[in-house]
Amino acid sequence: MLNNDKIRIMTKLAIYESKDGKEDIKLSKYYKTDYVRYQVLKSIVAATFGYAAILLMFFFYKAEYIISQAVVLDYKLIGTYILGVYIMIVTVYGLSSGIGYSIKYDASRKKLAKYFKLLKHLNKIYKEETPEQ
Amino acid sequence: MMPVFVFRERIRVLYQKYDIYIMPALKFIFAFIVFQVINGAIGYDARIRRFPIVFILSLLSAFTPSAIMVLLAAVVCVLHVYSVSNILSVIIILIMLILYLLFARFTPRLGFVVLAVPILFVLKIPYMIPILMGLIATPMAIIPTGCGVVIYYLLQIIKEAATNHVNINPEEVVQLYTYVIDSLITNKQMIITIVIFSLIILITFFIRKMKFDYAFEIAIAAGALTCILGFLISDFVLDISNQIIIMILGSIGSTVIVYAVHFFKLTLDYSGVEIVQFEDDVYYYYVKAVPKITVTAPQMNVKRFNAQKSDSTHRSGIRRHDIDMDEEYEDVETDSYYDDRKGSHNNNIISRDEDDGIDE
Repeated sequence: MLNNDKIRIMTKLAIYESKDGKEDIKLSKYYKTDYVRYQVLKSIVAATFGYAAILLMFFFYKAEYIISQAVVLDYKLIGTYILGVYIMIVTVYGLSSGIGYSIKYDASRKKLAKYFKLLKHLNKIYKEETPEQ
Repeated sequence: MMPVFVFRERIRVLYQKYDIYIMPALKFIFAFIVFQVINGAIGYDARIRRFPIVFILSLLSAFTPSAIMVLLAAVVCVLHVYSVSNILSVIIILIMLILYLLFARFTPRLGFVVLAVPILFVLKIPYMIPILMGLIATPMAIIPTGCGVVIYYLLQIIKEAATNHVNINPEEVVQLYTYVIDSLITNKQMIITIVIFSLIILITFFIRKMKFDYAFEIAIAAGALTCILGFLISDFVLDISNQIIIMILGSIGSTVIVYAVHFFKLTLDYSGVEIVQFEDDVYYYYVKAVPKITVTAPQMNVKRFNAQKSDSTHRSGIRRHDIDMDEEYEDVETDSYYDDRKGSHNNNIISRDEDDGIDE
């Protein structure tokens, strides 16, 4: 016999799993701290590469000046500047992506709670079904 | 007004039914326009301009996620520029990389915006993007919109540089490079455009979020007004008066398009027929879930309209009713996965062993 209630729930679960659920379920495999830390790390790496690309472009932009003044440039000061800006960028990106991704994680948890509720419901139907057989 | 409402319902029903075919078709058309505009604007390489190539690229974009289309468009741009000057293509790659790593990677779902802004700039209606984003997205959409504006102005500069410095000797490479960077950094128009677009997104978003009647319509109007005023001021400040009429016409055109999109409500992650497969211990299920509510909507509309007598009340009657219906629909749509009310979906069940399910 087909159980229409069960099919209804299973349909809803399947639709959710094939859409938003895909990402939510992937997220649910991480602890929050692990997930946020991983994302922060990724954004810091991306920011590092982006900053390196900007530096490269800036170097070419000022290439003529840098080469002509190569002997008299204060490398210590330049190094401090570059490092200072880098630390600022990393801090900003790390903090903001930490906040952003933890909000995202919480939101996906909320959606998953409803999903789990439906799963529980489905489980109950299964349990009711088995003794009959 | 009545035929328009009926027309809308027809379109909705049609979209709901043939969702699976309409989406790739729309994506194909969009991709085709994208590649044609790119070829028209910076089509230096005749090989990529050929019709079969454009056709295959569009076909590829039609059946893959939208991120692939963005990537393909970027690659086509770089290849076109590469055929004129390799130093210019290196600059493009570097700037695109910076934009991606520092900004665009945080909004992966809005990647198509980065592509749409330059394309719509060429078609003279870029203003629809910020208004639309304010309507359907969050203020995070400022990031991809800003990136799109930068890409557009970058391509403008590259175009100029490519015509001015066609054959250059190695010594002029640095000169060419500084020319491009200089014009990008000192481009006041670009910065002002980003600021105005961000303002439009914020204003549209916050008005749309307010809880009063016609919030969406007023949000669209406010966005359009911000757009026209902002660009008028910027045109006077930068002393470019030859584009004012095009700008105003473009804004009005954009507003009309955004209003049409809002009217049909096709963008709000509107779900059509869902086809899912799953199994339990006994059966395999192939379920086709059809959203119920829109099917009854046109009848409700017709009844309300005919019941009203006086002209002024019946018009407002439609509008009010129209909004109620939409709200009701949105609720159902967002909760449709979870709500336990019977019959929010019609389940047409075709099972392998038994056929007592309802055949469609």
